[in-house]
Amino acid sequence: MSSFLNTPSLGYRVEGLLAKPGSGLVALLVLFIIAMTFVAPSFLSFGNWENIANQAVFVLLLALGMTIVLIARGIDLSVGSVMGLSAGVAAFLINQGLIFPLALLAGIGCGLICGLLNALMITKLGLPDFVATLAMLGVARGVLFLWTEGTPFTRYMTPEYRLVGGQVKLGGIITIPIIVAVVLCILVSLMLRKSLIGRHLYAVGGSPDAARLSGISVSAVKTFAYVVSGGCAGLAGVILAGRATNVAPTLGTGYEILAITAAIIGGAALTGGQGRMVGAILGALTITLIANAMNIAGVTSEWQQVVTGIILLLAILLDRITAYFKKRQTSAEIEQSPQQEPTPATAPRRAIS
Amino acid sequence: MSIFQRSSRVLAIDGAAVSIVFLIMCAYFAIASPYFLSPDNIHNTFVESVSAVLLAAGLTFVLISGGIDLSIGSNIGLSAAMTLFASMNGAPTVLALLAGVATGLIFGLVNGAFIAGLGVSDFIVTLATLSVGAGVLQVFSASTQLTGTADSSFLALARGEVAGIPTGVLIAVVILFVLEIALIKTPFGRTIYAVGINPNAAYLAAVSVRRTKFLVFVISGIVAGIGGVLLASHLNSVQPGLGGGYELTAIAGCVVGGVALAGGRGSIWRAALGAFFLSVLSRGLQLIGVDPLWFSIVTGAAIVAAVAFDRGAQKWLQSTLRPVSPVAAAATQNAQ
Repeated sequence: MSSFLNTPSLGYRVEGLLAKPGSGLVALLVLFIIAMTFVAPSFLSFGNWENIANQAVFVLLLALGMTIVLIARGIDLSVGSVMGLSAGVAAFLINQGLIFPLALLAGIGCGLICGLLNALMITKLGLPDFVATLAMLGVARGVLFLWTEGTPFTRYMTPEYRLVGGQVKLGGIITIPIIVAVVLCILVSLMLRKSLIGRHLYAVGGSPDAARLSGISVSAVKTFAYVVSGGCAGLAGVILAGRATNVAPTLGTGYEILAITAAIIGGAALTGGQGRMVGAILGALTITLIANAMNIAGVTSEWQQVVTGIILLLAILLDRITAYFKKRQTSAEIEQSPQQEPTPATAPRRAIS
Repeated sequence: MSIFQRSSRVLAIDGAAVSIVFLIMCAYFAIASPYFLSPDNIHNTFVESVSAVLLAAGLTFVLISGGIDLSIGSNIGLSAAMTLFASMNGAPTVLALLAGVATGLIFGLVNGAFIAGLGVSDFIVTLATLSVGAGVLQVFSASTQLTGTADSSFLALARGEVAGIPTGVLIAVVILFVLEIALIKTPFGRTIYAVGINPNAAYLAAVSVRRTKFLVFVISGIVAGIGGVLLASHLNSVQPGLGGGYELTAIAGCVVGGVALAGGRGSIWRAALGAFFLSVLSRGLQLIGVDPLWFSIVTGAAIVAAVAFDRGAQKWLQSTLRPVSPVAAAATQNAQ
């Protein structure tokens, strides 16, 4: 917008940086990391960052699926329970003597089926998203409790599963969960930005009525979103079973809240039509970093919840500040634009957006 | 009009479908377990459902305005802790009661300030206050033993009886009545519906959307605080995790009763009926000897069934009671 006649000042440039979505979060993270290095020098060690990356994988996988659902103006409360159930399926089938890859696929398949059931309840029965997935949260958890009879599945660990669960590094360099997460992030990012279904997701979330009138099948798009979310939960569950070395009936409880939090502090909105993959990564990293830092700093588990809540509120405040700078910048551009670009069509359009 | 159509008109009454399912469920439990209809069980069922019903009633205000309040779970737990703490340290009954209600009020004020004042997503704000509240309760109850107050008038709040009816239930009924009047009969109540149906239209009609949003969260907080006081008086002890998961039960109760999460539809008695429905369901399942491991499955299925039945009944009524021309039918289908 600005030409050489009107070189932006330094303050304007800083404001421009602040107006970028997610910059508030990055600033918070950087400040947080700097503060932590004074509290505990071991925080910056390579081993600890490896640890953080390995822990962040689970929240990240769930947050990816959640972001897709949120973009399509839905919400998936069932991911935590579905993750636990998928872990149970994989562990049980390995104990039954099924070959390893098939057991993993069955676990992921369990997640996909749960996602499909969510989608059918929402699109065919017309239940609100919140209700359908809340019911699935209860049902999947109940099935796992009944199936395990209250005692964890154990003794299913094999050398291959240690590798998949990230307990052993592939070739001594990097763990498989991190590779899986990176590949999935790239795929989802490409899907959201380049593919037809990605555009349709944003269209449906932005305005379901307008999307339907322009020939998009809203229920097909929603089904896609929920199946992907279920599949992500299944994948996370299968990996978590390898990580945890036993499947307790409560495995994955509360993860839905972490996933939603990660997606939303990453910029997705419950009102739909917004959200980016980078945001999900940042959100998942923020949550894991905070938990990790509190463990290192020796914060007791009672206080951890309080601190998590307060940091969540801080993240929202930062987001509001970002929005304020964005608004200020657009209004500044509108003030300048009539002299530089006398085309009357552009100015009003900007004012609306 | 056939008899069939005439009798189906009953279903068109607001909330009739859920009431019928509720009565069928009660009849089934009464046949399956002779203990279900005994005075003892009825007494206990009512006393134990008080907190769930109150939470659902307060939440209804927020839901009708198109918002959501997740913090009520830790709100009721922390309010119970504060009121019991005050009473144990020799505060008079009235002060102890105020301590609990004030805790609820603080929750409501903080939620309202962030949501209405700053315009932040209500889901995230109340999720954060839920987390902070639960954490404070953990910290607080780890340092102090919250068991047993000697103040008999405080304990009488929920445990006493007037004409054979527990006082806790009486208080809850009075509060429900006041809330229902406030929602249905006052201009303020109408603005809540207006904001829930269409905030922009409400704004253009000179309704202060911000003020309404702020007030519904304050109401929800205060009612949860009162629920906490009654819960503390009933239990006479507060555990660190008290109130965890109550928010989901309350939301489920509202939805079963027919309060729309999208806003603009619902009433206090329907939310109370829905919450009571779920309490009776879990109690009845216990009585007929169902393994507690089945509870979450049955509750989940009941929520889906109730909501699907409600929707199905409405759709079916629209097609049977008001026969419309194919063109108009197509138009309404398109509009949905």
